[in-house]
Amino acid sequence: MKVKAERTVNEAQTVVASAGSNVYISGAADERYSRQILFAPIGTQGQHKLAERSVSIIGMGALGTVLANHMVRAGVGKVRIVDRDYVERSNLQRQMLYDEEDADLALPKVIAAERKLKRINSSVSIEAIMADVTPANVLEFIENTDLVLDGTDNFQTRFLLNDACYHEGIAFVYGGAVGSRGMSAIFVPGLTPCLRCLIPSADSGGETCDTVGVISPVVDLVASYQSAEALKYLIGDDKARRDSLISFDVWNNHQHMLKLGQPRDNCPCCGLNKYPALEREGEATISLCGRDSVQIAGHPPFDLHVWAQKLEKAMPNLKMNPYLLRGFLPEGERLVLFADGRVLVQGTADPARARTIYARYIGG
Amino acid sequence: MKELIINGSKRELDASTVEDVVRLLGLEGRPVVAEVNGEVLTLERWADTATEPGMSIELVHFVGGG
Repeated sequence: MKVKAERTVNEAQTVVASAGSNVYISGAADERYSRQILFAPIGTQGQHKLAERSVSIIGMGALGTVLANHMVRAGVGKVRIVDRDYVERSNLQRQMLYDEEDADLALPKVIAAERKLKRINSSVSIEAIMADVTPANVLEFIENTDLVLDGTDNFQTRFLLNDACYHEGIAFVYGGAVGSRGMSAIFVPGLTPCLRCLIPSADSGGETCDTVGVISPVVDLVASYQSAEALKYLIGDDKARRDSLISFDVWNNHQHMLKLGQPRDNCPCCGLNKYPALEREGEATISLCGRDSVQIAGHPPFDLHVWAQKLEKAMPNLKMNPYLLRGFLPEGERLVLFADGRVLVQGTADPARARTIYARYIGG
Repeated sequence: MKELIINGSKRELDASTVEDVVRLLGLEGRPVVAEVNGEVLTLERWADTATEPGMSIELVHFVGGG
């Protein structure tokens, strides 16, 4: 106790010199954030506001890890992270919170990220949720939050987030990247158009990070633009809000600002009070997940120990951690069972083939 | 053929409308917002907006990765 008390006194006496004048700052928190507090638009008031705010980051891949890094280092009070996937070697080139050990252990991304983020800033409350975001559960993940940050890797989930945020009146910061191209914009219900105002619907047209690749600098840039808008929004600096969608190609040296203008009257979300992605019925239980992977949802939660025993004869190379069970099948594909009931069949992009394998080993 | 400025670069294209430009660049059906001379042009107006030499067209192709 004595040691702790002495340290607090020392921290209270921290002095930061700035531009010829001495700014006296008290407490460990202020020392940690001193450079951010010296930045006039944030200052001490802004720093206090950040500590009172909460954000939800949906998707903890390349964008999500950069977003979480910025939010946690900046001292946002509560950071919720949501992702369905686990760490693999192919993530390490750009997903900056993960390392080789995380991939070797096949840790869920939210678990690996939570560990790293808590070491970065233990004063931030981090809520890690391993889940597949669907119309049935999306509202749970954005409730009690001031801002939703897009870390997803597909348009389907982005439109779901867009619609859910506009339904709930929560601002949404879009970001997307592929190859060397990226873009970002902040959408604020009632003040700006939404994603659906700009593009009524979309699919990736076969251009995803799994098919045409992506370089690390472009995702860092996109997520950093998203994070800057997040900081402005969270401290309430509305005048500084970017009123355009920034898009750029870092390899071919082009950049453009697209003025967002006003919400469109004929937009389902902004003009007609309809939220198509939330109203989708019977969410498909089978979805493509990356280049060579099919996800099948709908099974009740797995008792992984029981399933390890069931599957060990077919898959002698089974590996298990508290969150998932995985192994190679004699057919050549890899099977991954998540404790929440989802199954991944890796090594095929054919839903019918995945369904056959599912029926063979899981049943139903 | 007309000389147009597409995404900041000069291009010679046999395009009489903005819709032609989008098609010739292989972006038909993709999530694209077109901005012509600094103004957003909604999808319904692509077919009847004629191109003019020197016209600046920005095609913002939305990306879904991340």
